[in-house]
Amino acid sequence: MQTDGAIGPSTLSLKDLPWQILWDKERCTLCGRCTAVCPVGAIELKVFRKRAVNVDVDFSKPGKRGGNVFGTFYGIHQRTSPAFACVGCAMCTLACPNDCIGPVAADEADKLRFHINQGGQAERRGGRRNDPGGILDRIQFTRISMLTDPALDAGRHEFELTTLLGRIYPPEKNMEMLRENGWIPPVREIYPLIIGGMSFGALSPTMWEGLQLGVTYLNEELGMPVRISTGEGGCPPRLLRSRFLRYVILQIASGYFGWDEIIHAIPEMKVDPCAIEIKYGQGAKPGDGGLLMWHKVNKLIAAIRGVPEGVSLPSPPTHQTKYSIEEAVAKMIQSMYMAWGFRVPVYPKISGTSTALSVLNNLSRNPYAAGLAIDGEDGGTGAAYNVSMNHMGHPIASCLRDCYRNLVSLGQQNEIPLFAGGGIGKSGNLAANAAALIMLGASGIQVGKIVMQAAAGCLGSETKRCNICNIGRCPKGITSQDPRLYRRLDPEDVAGRLVDMFVSFDTELRKIVAPLGRSTSLPIGMSDALGINDKDAADRLDIRYVV
Amino acid sequence: MNNTNQRIILSGRVEDERLESRVLEEKIQKAVRDGHRVIEVEAHGQHGIGGRLYRAAKDPVHVKVTGHSGQRLGSMGFPGTFIENFGPASDDAGWLNAGARIVIHGNAANGTANAMSQGTIFVGGSIGSRGMTMTKYNPRFDPPQLWVLGSTGDYFGEFMAGGIAVICGVDPKTPENILGHRPFVGMVAGTVFFNGPHGGYSKTDSKIVFLSDDDWQWLRDGLDRFLDAVGRKNDVPERLFERERWQKLTARSPHDKVVRKTRTVSEFRRSVWEAELGAGGLVGDISDRDMSLIPLIPTGELRRFVPVWENRKYLPPCQDACPAGIPVLDRWRLVREGKVDEAMDLALRYTPFPATVCGHLCPNLCMGSCTRQGAMMPPVDITKLGKAGVHTKEPELPEVTGGRVAVIGGGPAGISAAWQLRLTGHDPTIYDLPVQLGGKISALIPKSRIPDDILNAELERARRVIGHVLLEKQLEAEDVERLRDDYDYVVVAAGAQKPRMLNIPGIERVFPATDFLRKAKQDAAGSPGDHVVVIGAGNVGCDVAVEAHRLGAKTITLIDVQEPAAFGREKAHAEAAGATFRWPCFTKEITAEGVVLEDGDLLSADTVVVSVGDVPDTGFLPGTVEIENGFVKVDEQFRTTDPKIFAVGDIVRPGLLTDSIGAGRKAASAIHRLLSGKEAGNNDRYYEMAGQSDIFLSEYAGFRDFVLDGPAVIDPSRISLEYFDPRLEMSEGIEGCSSACLSCGSCRDCGLCESLCPQAAIYREELENGDFEYRVRTDRCIGCGFCAGACPCGIWAIHENDPL
Repeated sequence: MQTDGAIGPSTLSLKDLPWQILWDKERCTLCGRCTAVCPVGAIELKVFRKRAVNVDVDFSKPGKRGGNVFGTFYGIHQRTSPAFACVGCAMCTLACPNDCIGPVAADEADKLRFHINQGGQAERRGGRRNDPGGILDRIQFTRISMLTDPALDAGRHEFELTTLLGRIYPPEKNMEMLRENGWIPPVREIYPLIIGGMSFGALSPTMWEGLQLGVTYLNEELGMPVRISTGEGGCPPRLLRSRFLRYVILQIASGYFGWDEIIHAIPEMKVDPCAIEIKYGQGAKPGDGGLLMWHKVNKLIAAIRGVPEGVSLPSPPTHQTKYSIEEAVAKMIQSMYMAWGFRVPVYPKISGTSTALSVLNNLSRNPYAAGLAIDGEDGGTGAAYNVSMNHMGHPIASCLRDCYRNLVSLGQQNEIPLFAGGGIGKSGNLAANAAALIMLGASGIQVGKIVMQAAAGCLGSETKRCNICNIGRCPKGITSQDPRLYRRLDPEDVAGRLVDMFVSFDTELRKIVAPLGRSTSLPIGMSDALGINDKDAADRLDIRYVV
Repeated sequence: MNNTNQRIILSGRVEDERLESRVLEEKIQKAVRDGHRVIEVEAHGQHGIGGRLYRAAKDPVHVKVTGHSGQRLGSMGFPGTFIENFGPASDDAGWLNAGARIVIHGNAANGTANAMSQGTIFVGGSIGSRGMTMTKYNPRFDPPQLWVLGSTGDYFGEFMAGGIAVICGVDPKTPENILGHRPFVGMVAGTVFFNGPHGGYSKTDSKIVFLSDDDWQWLRDGLDRFLDAVGRKNDVPERLFERERWQKLTARSPHDKVVRKTRTVSEFRRSVWEAELGAGGLVGDISDRDMSLIPLIPTGELRRFVPVWENRKYLPPCQDACPAGIPVLDRWRLVREGKVDEAMDLALRYTPFPATVCGHLCPNLCMGSCTRQGAMMPPVDITKLGKAGVHTKEPELPEVTGGRVAVIGGGPAGISAAWQLRLTGHDPTIYDLPVQLGGKISALIPKSRIPDDILNAELERARRVIGHVLLEKQLEAEDVERLRDDYDYVVVAAGAQKPRMLNIPGIERVFPATDFLRKAKQDAAGSPGDHVVVIGAGNVGCDVAVEAHRLGAKTITLIDVQEPAAFGREKAHAEAAGATFRWPCFTKEITAEGVVLEDGDLLSADTVVVSVGDVPDTGFLPGTVEIENGFVKVDEQFRTTDPKIFAVGDIVRPGLLTDSIGAGRKAASAIHRLLSGKEAGNNDRYYEMAGQSDIFLSEYAGFRDFVLDGPAVIDPSRISLEYFDPRLEMSEGIEGCSSACLSCGSCRDCGLCESLCPQAAIYREELENGDFEYRVRTDRCIGCGFCAGACPCGIWAIHENDPL
């Protein structure tokens, strides 16, 4: 605005913004890198006035008291209109050769939040719920066996840290099926840390390439049976026809994008995929669907999803042809099993919800259900309404725990694996969070956001930093379809960092399970190893209350 | 001691009672203290037999153990102690051995030699798991040794940190693997010799090395002593003495540790990933897009943003505001360039009245919209430039080659239309009723606002240009129809002549404002008396007040039913004349005393003037011209419903003088197009306003066309007002004014962008036609937008680059 112009309700000052750019005139060389790199145009060069007043202080003399020296200088100016508000990504700091610029978080709740809805458009963004920390970080592993169990050395002993994905019949039934030549459900022995569904489209091509390359490296070079879900957006034809498909969980969701290409590829597949994940819900935005805007549907995405270019691609909140839980789950699972001759496990993924038990009870009666993935409220997303992200969903810990205890009461805890996701490793404590959930009853863990953070340098945070995945301007090139951005990301670097993440996770997981004397199976449901310094949480999760 | 070397037999059982380990230990220690140096122990599973015999000092002590020795045989053994165990040993034989020589004739269980630091252990059989683990080597002493005739159990040598182990592989428990499962995990120091097959070992911690001559000599010598000690000298396979069957293993040093021999991701990508998928990886078959890494701050087509020199893409607000479309900014530019005459000529292309209207009578909408006001700076004063144009010679006239046009009305609208027509080579003729050209400027507007000499000079110039001016012509409908037939087109610019009056008692006592002003200007009006009331406080009412004052009125009151509409110079002049404004006032009647209001107040008046507007007299127009609400109905080009008749000025709608001038120009432009065989109009207002009409002559040096698309007026936020000192008053002269002009949207060629660009990417290019452009070297530009941020005139803009 003009400095002497009128103000409106949404006229904001720098103070009102969540992030303020601090700029050091003394050190700045006016090189232009900060404004060139800013993803949202929050900063620009500006001419500033400068005025020195040299007054004559001899009041005995009448007349004018001196002169004004008028001048100007150039500097970096932060824009204050809501459309150009700084998102705190600090790419300017990264680009600055002189360390003279960077965002600082406001010292009180910003006012921008009240004005982001210009034109009646409710706030949308990417990232996670704006709530750092969580119950998982507070869970301690209190059972450290020194003499009561054979304590193991995490660094030197051999561990078999795999889990099972697939329906596991009780031994008697298994024997019966063997005797009668009956159908025994396929089961995969996989690494318990699974890369959850992030579609080709939500992620950039370089990011996708990097993740798949890294997963393949982990499998073939390091022998870690890591699996990755495609998310809903199809799967590149080459991957479908390669031996690497066995490391891939194909996801089908309510938009069914890319599935005709997958079906066409079935006759040419060298190997079966690891599993099929039927997505019913997502933790970050439960009850909500997705929309890939037409301008992101470029040639590549169109080819993979099997659609024309430049058409918006909606994924409705629900699958359109399902009307009851019995029908919905049974019908989908049957269809997906049939596609690969009943050789590939099929499991649903739902968002964390107080109705998860209903789904689970249904699955427990369906011998084809290979497991259940539950995505808690702290999960990440590329685009959602802020209200969905911040206020909707169920925390993963108690949701997962309820489900596991329900299985225990049914005596089926070893039959239907549960996979937990949503904010695992949000504070960087990936292995601790994962191990806590495993001991609460999860057979495996799904992660997404932390993969972007660790493997690609995602800047997003739960304190409103960046989180602009939804506008296609990801400054790291992770969620953008713009070559000018995604070419900032080298797939090899992503793969390398993914490998680092998994190998270090493996070490940490061993560190946690070794003192339990576990080296040949994951301590799934071993909740007597857990404690928390919160009585209510301890009671709710049925773990030890420790202070 | 007299009983040196005296043999003593100690039994671990007394009277069928097994002795506690503590009691046997006390007995053994006592025997040593008593001087016994050969101690035979009949063991019954007691713990730690033979260790800690330091009381013998440097004397050798020989402990012979029969029966079942318990755990930790010889633990914490001392140098000089020789323990001979004639049967199998339990767990941890030689635990923390600090120098004892221990010979076990049978097998030894788990943990043999665990944490041993010195001494030697010979095992005539095999050992259990975790043998030789956590062993040490203290440089003050010789390294510890473990010799095993058979095989080892699992996890052999775990965390081994020193010493030498020799595994002979004779009669092994596990013939296929004499070193057991996962040996040497965590080994950091020490040496192992072995003779036989193994099932793998920790390659990250240990490695097989060359067996040297010295090694072999040491081993060969040691073998003899070992076999002798365990009584197998002549009872072992020959391969034990074959050097090539032995292997030597040592710990990897910290520098020598191999983490894991794996390919780099790059190698893997080439040799595995792309071998399976094909070149280009996942999408190499469906995309040929380059996906290689680019720098964070790229140039060229990889820039996210590109600067665009949008010179004259948007109209400056002054020109946009001017109803006559005068390119104000370019006039100031010409002045800056020293081309004052050209600046004057340029104005005459748009208006016949630069001095009269721009300089004196116009409320100067251009100044009202001047961007400078955004920083509370005074607008650039156009009146100075206007006034300077009073004696500018008329433009050189083209030969008359076009059509003939009759213009009815010699006011500003008619003169403007005729002027423009003549400038484009047509032949206009003005018909008007009064004796003098100029319409209400001449007839009504007080001389205090427009001096005669200025007005007359400009009217004279107009008359010279137009040529045919027929005054004192009263036209009736049939005359107009005749003109329409005689001429190619008729432009009606007869103004609004009929005063609006009030329907109140005594109205016959009042003067209509136009009558009053006309008579006043002709000095034909007598004195209005001391008190004058003007009903209707608009600008015309103000003119009345000024004239009344001039003619001697002492009090002048302007009343209105609402807040007076008067503004600008007119109002200022009226106030200077002492006029007062009063509102809301509702007039009830006019009496001899003055004006009686509805509320009963009497405003004393010698003269009452009504000034509530005028309406056109359209009675002289032919029936083909449609009238709407008393005014002539026209289209965008001011064409009436009669296709040969145009109408401009107050007969169409009341407006400013500059509105009339603009309308005249626009109608002339339409007629010119029609006479040239084109469509009457381009409905784009900006087309006209930007001087792109066909009658605009772009013959002025450096004058560039505007390239308009999108919003046509420049966004004032693009202009950098900060370059101007807001304390400075507007300069007096036109040169000073010209430099105060911000040149909104029109490059002033200051070169700041060239200087400021951090990449030196901007350069100035001189064009062949004498013009210039600022251009960008795309291979240097990073798209920082500094040029846009610094440009004083708002020329540079930063745009998102085209999608790749």
